[in-house]
Amino acid sequence: MNVRSRELVVSTLSVMGFLLLWEVLSRTGVVDARILAPPSSVAATLVELAANGQLSRALTYTVVRFAVGMILGTVPGIVLGLTIGLFRWARVLIQPLISVFYMVPRIAMFPLVLIFLGLNEQSNIVMIALGPFFTMVITSAAAVRNIDPIYPSVAKSFNTGTWDLYMRVTLPAALPVIFGGIRVSLGLALLGTVAVEFLVASEGLGHLIWRSWQILSMSLSVAGLVAASAVGMMAYGLLGLLERYVMPWQQR
Amino acid sequence: MNLRSPDAAGVNSGGGTEDKPIAPVEANALHPCVTLSGLSKTYGVPGRREIVALSNIDLGIQPGQFVCVVGPSGCGKSTLLKILAGLESQSDGSVDFAFPASERPLRSMVFQEQGVFPWMTVLNNAAYGLTVRGIPKKERQEIARGYLETLDLGRFADAYPRSLSGGMKQRVNIARAFANDPELLLMDEPMANLDEYTKLIVQDDLLRLWEEHRKTVVFVTHSLDEAIVLGDRILVMSSRPGRIVEDIPIDLARPRRVFELQSDESFLRLRGHLWEFLKSEIDALRIREALPQSSKP
Repeated sequence: MNVRSRELVVSTLSVMGFLLLWEVLSRTGVVDARILAPPSSVAATLVELAANGQLSRALTYTVVRFAVGMILGTVPGIVLGLTIGLFRWARVLIQPLISVFYMVPRIAMFPLVLIFLGLNEQSNIVMIALGPFFTMVITSAAAVRNIDPIYPSVAKSFNTGTWDLYMRVTLPAALPVIFGGIRVSLGLALLGTVAVEFLVASEGLGHLIWRSWQILSMSLSVAGLVAASAVGMMAYGLLGLLERYVMPWQQR
Repeated sequence: MNLRSPDAAGVNSGGGTEDKPIAPVEANALHPCVTLSGLSKTYGVPGRREIVALSNIDLGIQPGQFVCVVGPSGCGKSTLLKILAGLESQSDGSVDFAFPASERPLRSMVFQEQGVFPWMTVLNNAAYGLTVRGIPKKERQEIARGYLETLDLGRFADAYPRSLSGGMKQRVNIARAFANDPELLLMDEPMANLDEYTKLIVQDDLLRLWEEHRKTVVFVTHSLDEAIVLGDRILVMSSRPGRIVEDIPIDLARPRRVFELQSDESFLRLRGHLWEFLKSEIDALRIREALPQSSKP
């Protein structure tokens, strides 16, 4: 067995060991089972939720909100950020506005958003999109401004036209940093989704978790958390695939 | 400043007149392809911490000539090159190019820091100049591949630069500049970041490529040895202010093989002679600089 497989086995055993420990501590009463449900009952709850369709229902709501909010925040954020990074007039005009709004805690903005858009799905999505939006504006602008100056110099020495310069040099050079920003945005979007579902939603994983506290079902609560992290892991996995596709030249 | 006429010293004796794909005009002191007149470059505000990078440079370069510019750091050689490349503008004087009308771009540059694009394959990097000129894909890839083959990089055409060593990346850089088929090739200390052995290999590759196409080259380096090995003509610059102090023809026979040259008698003799000559120049410079300045710039 080579080194990598061995490491994989050890990692898996480590996680399994942790779960086992947790299970044992719970059953023997060292940790109060009412406060921290053992993995077995969490698993059982998950199976139950899957069986009666509650899990897929909650997952659908959460995933759709998360995806839509993420895209709605990220894409305009990147476009605006690139504009600010590339054009001086844009920076002078728009950057101050961004800075001002960025400072306001998003949770505090929620009531305002609700008043503007109403107590509906649109406000939820907007709230979720805010984190990624600001993150991507700032990251994209920084990405462009921090490109190694040798690259535009080389492009200029070959008399590269503006369009070619942006498409063939500036954008690819900025991509690694931009993807770094997308990683952060992904985490923020997930956080935002669960938070919004705590506060106002009547469906979704966040709502499920919130409800579980109200009925004091810890196994339901942990089950919800597990599902939420699964969504997160899938999202990061997909992002990794996207990165590999868009940036085949990047070192792993 | 003593500018000797290059022709008088027989600089093109090493087969300069036979193979000139570019110019219908024969190599001739009366038809320089690059002319600098009174070129000056000053940084800063007059009267306040002014730096005179270049002062009154007059220079004529013949088609197909391999000109090396040597000098200590800060003598303005990189500035001179950047002005020739159009990346910087002069403060005074003029730069004139006289190449026969053709489809060819005027100039391409090889930078010290390489600037090989990490997000493109080696092939697309080499074809870059052709790409932005709108040359169709099949044609430009063929051309680029040819140059890569000559530099022994054919196998790496579809690899990304991250798998390449510094020497290989610099060769991609050189291939890229040559593939663009410019009239004038400008090189800014391209071997500076390479180790001794790799340097010799890349020099050899460069000469091989140059001998095939005989482009006009301006090559900046801080290594006198490198300048002797590569060039037809060496311009020695000194700093404060930047100016050309010597114009030395190199009439070693071509084609030159870098590795054999290291132990070649005529090369060693010439090298020894030049070092002696420059030593007296450096000593004179030191004496000059030890004396207090009579007038502030």
